[in-house]
Amino acid sequence: MSSRFFRGGGDSSTESSSDEEELYTTEEEEEEEEQEEQESSELEDDDDEEESSSDDEAGPKKGAGRFLVDVASDSDDSEAELVTKVKSAKDKRFDELEAIITAIQNSQKINDWGTIANEFDKLSRQAVKLQDGSKAPKSYIKCIAELEDYMNETLAKQKVTPKKMNATNARGLNAVKQKIKKTTKEYQAQVDAFRKDGDAFMESSDEDDELPLPKSTKLKLQDAVIPEAAEDEEKGFSIVDKRGKAIPFSPESIQKHLRAIIESRGRKGTDRNEQIKIMEELNRVAETPYLKIRVLQTLISARFDLGSGGSVMPLEQWKAAEKELGALLTLLEANKDHIVIETAEEWEDDDKVPVLGPGDKYITVPGSVVSYIERLDDELTRSLQNIDPHTPEYIERLTDETSLYNTILRGLLYYETIQKDSSLDVPQESLNRIVQRRLDHIYFKPAQVVKILEENSWKQVPDEVDSAIAPRGLLGDAGKLIHSLCNYLFNKSEGIIRARAMLCQIYFLALHDEYYKARDMMLMSHLQENIPNFDVATQILYNRTLVQVGLCAFRKGLVYDAQNTLQDICGSGRQKELLAQGVMMQRFSQVSPEQERLEKQRQLPFHMHINLELLECVYLTCSMLLEIPLLAQIGSSPDIKKRVISKTYRRMLEYHERQIFTGPPENTRDHVMQASKALAAGEWKKAIHFIHNIKIWDLMPSTEDIKAMLAKQIQEEGLRTYLFTYAPFYDTLAIETLSTMFELEPAKVSAVVSKMISHEELAAALDQVTETVIFRKGVELSRLQSLALALSDKASALIETNERTLEVRTQGSANAFSRKDGRQGGQRTGGQRTGRGGARTGGTGQRQAGGTQFTGGALGAAVRG
Amino acid sequence: MVDAQKDAPFKSAQVESLVVMKIVKHCSSAFPTTATGSLVGMDTDGVLEITNAFPFPTLDVSAADGHQADASSLAAAAPRAKANIAYQNEMIRHLKEVNVDANNVGWYTSATMGNFINLSFIENQYHYQRENDKTVALVHDVSRSSQGALSLRAFRLSPEFMAAYKEAKFTTESLQKSKLSFHDILIEVPVIVHNSHLLTSFLHQIPAPPESSEIPLPASLDDIRREPAPLPAYPFFDTLDVSIDPFLEKTCDLLLESIEAHYSDLNNHQYYQRQLAREQFKISQWQAKRKAENAARLAAKQEPLPEDEWQRLFKLPQEPSRLEGMLNARQVEQYSKQVDSFTATVTSKLFAVRGNLLPE
Repeated sequence: MSSRFFRGGGDSSTESSSDEEELYTTEEEEEEEEQEEQESSELEDDDDEEESSSDDEAGPKKGAGRFLVDVASDSDDSEAELVTKVKSAKDKRFDELEAIITAIQNSQKINDWGTIANEFDKLSRQAVKLQDGSKAPKSYIKCIAELEDYMNETLAKQKVTPKKMNATNARGLNAVKQKIKKTTKEYQAQVDAFRKDGDAFMESSDEDDELPLPKSTKLKLQDAVIPEAAEDEEKGFSIVDKRGKAIPFSPESIQKHLRAIIESRGRKGTDRNEQIKIMEELNRVAETPYLKIRVLQTLISARFDLGSGGSVMPLEQWKAAEKELGALLTLLEANKDHIVIETAEEWEDDDKVPVLGPGDKYITVPGSVVSYIERLDDELTRSLQNIDPHTPEYIERLTDETSLYNTILRGLLYYETIQKDSSLDVPQESLNRIVQRRLDHIYFKPAQVVKILEENSWKQVPDEVDSAIAPRGLLGDAGKLIHSLCNYLFNKSEGIIRARAMLCQIYFLALHDEYYKARDMMLMSHLQENIPNFDVATQILYNRTLVQVGLCAFRKGLVYDAQNTLQDICGSGRQKELLAQGVMMQRFSQVSPEQERLEKQRQLPFHMHINLELLECVYLTCSMLLEIPLLAQIGSSPDIKKRVISKTYRRMLEYHERQIFTGPPENTRDHVMQASKALAAGEWKKAIHFIHNIKIWDLMPSTEDIKAMLAKQIQEEGLRTYLFTYAPFYDTLAIETLSTMFELEPAKVSAVVSKMISHEELAAALDQVTETVIFRKGVELSRLQSLALALSDKASALIETNERTLEVRTQGSANAFSRKDGRQGGQRTGGQRTGRGGARTGGTGQRQAGGTQFTGGALGAAVRG
Repeated sequence: MVDAQKDAPFKSAQVESLVVMKIVKHCSSAFPTTATGSLVGMDTDGVLEITNAFPFPTLDVSAADGHQADASSLAAAAPRAKANIAYQNEMIRHLKEVNVDANNVGWYTSATMGNFINLSFIENQYHYQRENDKTVALVHDVSRSSQGALSLRAFRLSPEFMAAYKEAKFTTESLQKSKLSFHDILIEVPVIVHNSHLLTSFLHQIPAPPESSEIPLPASLDDIRREPAPLPAYPFFDTLDVSIDPFLEKTCDLLLESIEAHYSDLNNHQYYQRQLAREQFKISQWQAKRKAENAARLAAKQEPLPEDEWQRLFKLPQEPSRLEGMLNARQVEQYSKQVDSFTATVTSKLFAVRGNLLPE
């Protein structure tokens, strides 16, 4: 109805109030409904309005016309349906409105601008509620117009009279001035109409009421709008969707909508949900693949925007984004001539859709599929971080990983296809990133799981597509898959991605018990030297890999290697932090909230965790197996007290020994500690019992093997401990005796003893004829000798420290070492110094060896001689 | 040492044998607890005569309980304990009444293997020397004396050290300025053991028993002419002891202890330096920031903010005293000298042994 009315812009004065009339006269309800909708749409359109308002200044009438044009469609639609209505509410509002207007008028008389300002605020709120379509109640318009006049008058007066207004009044006046300006702009047409002929405006009759009915023929949505749009174009105005649901979506206007949305991105007050709704609509209308691609891209970005700013992306949004990303990929697969690529140029012309030129092979769309995928992945991780891992919700959420993996695979395939065309110049980095993402999802999973995941994903991919990087044929073999993915990254990437690929592969190998391969790769990568230069996430991955290699060594029964590898992580007492599996409580922390937030962000989702208790258990058990014999060895010679393998373990052991009463073991630590005690006392059976009682071994694959391995290790170490402890009391010892004592084969016993002898841990000889161990006496260092050795070590360490200090102080200049003694000073150039330093350390090492072993060093020789 | 003596108000300490005997008796009876006592005497013509000594009373509460360390530290701190000062004054008053020299000239302490250089010793000597410059600390090393020769040494604090200690300033800077090193903490004063003429004549009159019941007849004239040197009254074979281990072991232990102490001192200092560097970094950051701010303000034609506010905002950490380190160094020097002198005698003994044992 209003469209009809406004199209005849000239005589608007008589009809402009048609909508208001309805409020008074018609009993129809939809008005109210509409109002609500319009309120909401009004709000979101505020921005647009303000933007366009500058244009409006030039031709206010047209501006208003522009904005009323579209009413047609929606009122036409709504006219059709009828709802029951409660009239009294509306009347009441009108009464209120009138009351406010009267109050304003009264205040005007006494020139009380403070009150006016307050009342005007109320009035505006009320008017919005009562608004019908874009038309405010007539009385409201009248009031505005009058108020504006009066205000201008007052302002003019104020300029002339020197007397100043009081503060409240001045403030009120200013407030009103600004508000009125805004409001009049909004209702420019009506205000103008009122100005032209106040009475006519107020009395404009209800004649419209009858009119809408015949006119409310259901125009086809697009039909109605397209000419409209065209018209507007000519007049130099752009279409602005005003009317809630019924935004005139047309393929042609899509680009403009998108531009508007993209421009409003990141601004305050943008209602993202609303935009998403609009774009969902647009997506439905979009016809050409180009437009579809554009809409989907914007839509996905908009959904991601919902998750930004600290909050987690809502689940349904994530799902929708994932689906849309899938749709986008499908679209791209189906339309080979459309390419989404990072390097493409922005299409500037909103009115035209790019078409395939004769020389062009592709229509390129700027965008980055890999970024979408990465973002989707990150969002999933974030949401997993926020869900309590012990709830079914977590598991449910985890199932989304499959679909995500599927998307990653498809993205990868897509990139591979477009990379085949060299003319496109696809950056290698995108491909690397997506391969890396794929790797990230499989490296920590057992082969069977990877296999299932792969199978499911490949099912979603059309049969004829295959990947060059990791062909479909690799489906059954997770190891090969990882290998080929990593190899690809080794060849094509550098820096962090290459390091990560390396670590992923090592992790996978370690997880699958390929210790030697994993260890060799770890050593060959030389990552331990430059890992501090990488970002934190990579460092965490490094730590994880290290731990995994250590666990692998343990499973293989390589206690020494396992302990050595795990030492760095577990000895620090900050496992949680180092593996990003929980935030440490720091007592004296000076952690800013910012750091804490970052820390939280780094946390790994629960399903990727390495079981910390198992880790501790492995570490402690390894430490026990190494430390107990060492402690026994130290017990007999007091001078090597300093040698400690694991400080953490020592501390625990000391703590355990200090306890007056030790109850039965409760946790893993207690078990290991009591086992240690038993082992030190030679009760190896008890030790085995304690260790086997630890529940957590069940988490290891092939528990029984591990337990058997542990039992064997404990027997051997028990034997060693026994020999260390009791060697001074024996002259000879039959291997047979030892063999029965520790239930080991005689061959094994002699092997252990020989090893100890050859390592100079035991002053003994093996008599093979009589099968006995013959101990030698009096070969230990005298107290003075050991003290002297300790002293010389200390002294050389001191010298080293001093020289280092001097070097720091003098910035390593060679002259710094010239002493007062000129002869010496002349000789000591930098190069020589380092040479000598090296020699000295070598000497120290030798001496240390002498200290720890009884025959080493010059003194040992002297004693023997 | 010669130079140092020039400034010293006395050149040597003359100790009466009575005092020596008293000190030896007191110290060895208290061993291994530290024993301390007071010295009285007088200063004449650049010689400090120490004519009498008396021990400080020991509080035997802790000794009975077996808290040796506590007893030791209590005894070590005795010379400057309030109760003992009163005791000492009382004692000197009594001595005056019997016409003994009644001037306090210092104190004595026992030591084991020269391990006397510590804060307590310094504080004691400072306590005495502050009041009266002509005081000395006698150190009787029980362990070394038991090995043969009497070890009694006299020390005083150098005037430079006194000055530095008065200000309690042992920062790197002040040490660099005053050029005070660990060599200059203590001045050793030569000790002369003096016997009264009466005592000397008494000693000469002690009848010595014949060396053997029968004196062999000289075989020839040459024998008589040669006149073999008369052996001491009782042959003392301890000096021929060649056992090296106990002494060296003990010294090694002590040296290790010193090095440990040095390390902890070093760590303290490194900690301080790190702290200082961190603080200074903060300050320089602050200054840079303030400078930039001021530049901005200058551009905006505003009053510049004061640039020396950092003195209020930041507090530099206190430098740990270097005294401990100096004492440590002095102590190590002492030990090394000890080992030096010990090995010098022992080596000759070893050569003698070898000469006797090896077949010609």
